[in-house]
Amino acid sequence: MLDIPKNGENMIIEAHDLRKTFVAKRGRGKTETVEAVRGIDLAVDEGEIFACLGPNGAGKTTTVRMLATFTVPTSGTARVAGFDVVKEAARVREKIGYVGQAGGVDDNAPGRESLVLAGRIAGMSRREALARAEELFAAFSLSEIADRPVKTLSGGQKRRFSLAIGLVNRPPLVFLDEPTTGLDPQNRANLWDEIRALREAGTSVLLTTHYLDEADALCDRLVIVDHGKIVAEGTPEKLKKELAGDVVTLRLDDLDGARRVLAAQPYIKETQVEGDSLRAYLDDGEHGLPALLRALEAESLAIRSISLDRATLDDVFLKHTGRSLRDAA
Amino acid sequence: MLRHTLLFTGYELGVMRRNLAWPIIGIMQPVLYLLLFAPLLTSITPNGELTEALIVFTPAALVMIALFGSMFAGFGMINETRNGVLERLAVSQAWRPAIILGRVVKDMLMLVLQSLLVLGVAALMGLRISLAAMGLMLLLMAVTGLFAANLSYGLALAVRDENGMSQIVQFFLLPLMLLSGLMLPMSLAPEWMQTVAKFNPLYYAVEAGRALFAGDFSDGDIPIAFGIFLVLGVLALTWSVRSLRKLAG
Repeated sequence: MLDIPKNGENMIIEAHDLRKTFVAKRGRGKTETVEAVRGIDLAVDEGEIFACLGPNGAGKTTTVRMLATFTVPTSGTARVAGFDVVKEAARVREKIGYVGQAGGVDDNAPGRESLVLAGRIAGMSRREALARAEELFAAFSLSEIADRPVKTLSGGQKRRFSLAIGLVNRPPLVFLDEPTTGLDPQNRANLWDEIRALREAGTSVLLTTHYLDEADALCDRLVIVDHGKIVAEGTPEKLKKELAGDVVTLRLDDLDGARRVLAAQPYIKETQVEGDSLRAYLDDGEHGLPALLRALEAESLAIRSISLDRATLDDVFLKHTGRSLRDAA
Repeated sequence: MLRHTLLFTGYELGVMRRNLAWPIIGIMQPVLYLLLFAPLLTSITPNGELTEALIVFTPAALVMIALFGSMFAGFGMINETRNGVLERLAVSQAWRPAIILGRVVKDMLMLVLQSLLVLGVAALMGLRISLAAMGLMLLLMAVTGLFAANLSYGLALAVRDENGMSQIVQFFLLPLMLLSGLMLPMSLAPEWMQTVAKFNPLYYAVEAGRALFAGDFSDGDIPIAFGIFLVLGVLALTWSVRSLRKLAG
């Protein structure tokens, strides 16, 4: 038997040291190079929902575009569904669905036309494409509006058409670039359900998002991307556990003094200053809080406000980048 | 390859069918020129008859549709560089040239249909040409459209900005029109203008059209016009497909 490395056949995405540098013209013959992606490694299992979480401009879209064969990497390699994204781009395209940030639905035609065209380009006969369109309209509650020009539809409805078009060829892997940006909470929740349904059906999903709760609620594993690099990787639970389960957020006048005091406490795992507040991470917040209060009181540090919460992915982002995702976005 | 091209053409024709008003408005200008300008030309025709003027001016009116219609075909595609449609098609299984070519074939068909309507108006005004002349003229319009539309899509994909594109098209339209002998035959122009006109592909379209309408099938400008537009059309297609690739950066 050959020694097959760990990157066996059940990896739907494998990327090694992907990089992309853009050369942008800045007028008067000047050029500016932008390193959008600076060495990303990814391994996504079949059937997983995998998220790329990061602020705007972190390189998420460029990464997805390279994996989806839209953008050619400056260096590095990637295999998607077993095929090289550069040398075997045509084979990759048979295996993927791609829903870009802009949606990619033609405004001037009814959604049905766009869907049938996409199906036929993927090799279906007109009859097959019509049947597949019906199936997807039913799945995404689009049947009623399938024959209305897309420009007359709401943002949420358009987004569902985008998703339906991306799935027309029954791809084993679908890329969703910021699928819920700009949607209201109700439409967002609906779309989450639809993405979960994809996993039930065995479809692998790679999605990008700058919403922490979205990555937390949806994905099996994620990477946190900042400035074109992966800063953390794992399941949402693992990433949060790494950090400690609870976080105490304090507002007080002497941030540095309080930070010194808390860092010296054995039950505090880590402290972070974010703006005018201090965040202290600890495993058992309910029992640690009284001790924390006593310690601050002993040093006569006046507290203006205090709250105890479960740590979120935002805390993970803060730990790894020194910035809050809300500030970075 | 052909299948994908026809799929895109079919889709685009569907879009056009739902907005029939635009191509109809598109022929208003050449029709008005036929009605209000061709009669002025009777002063330069040998017998001063309208039918003679129509033989001179109708081919020009047809080339006008190609200029003011097909040259603007790319405008719609600028929006598609932003709304994600081209991005999605680029990673689909579509044969990439078909994305452009499918639209170009639609524009060629539209141009031929518009030409037929304009020819109908000219016929009502008294133009009489042979069926062969008409067929060849429509074919000539198709290859003119092949070039003009491909050029327009290439420009749209390279410029990717509506304002910039309209400035560039306007900048070229007027000299192209004046130096094609579209309004008045180039034979009336001074020597230097005639020389410059030889570098304008549209000049050959207009001249070939006039030869066809005059029943002079052996005129050398006819094969030149077909040849020029086929070659330029293929070049423009290559350019626009390359611009499509560059979209990804």
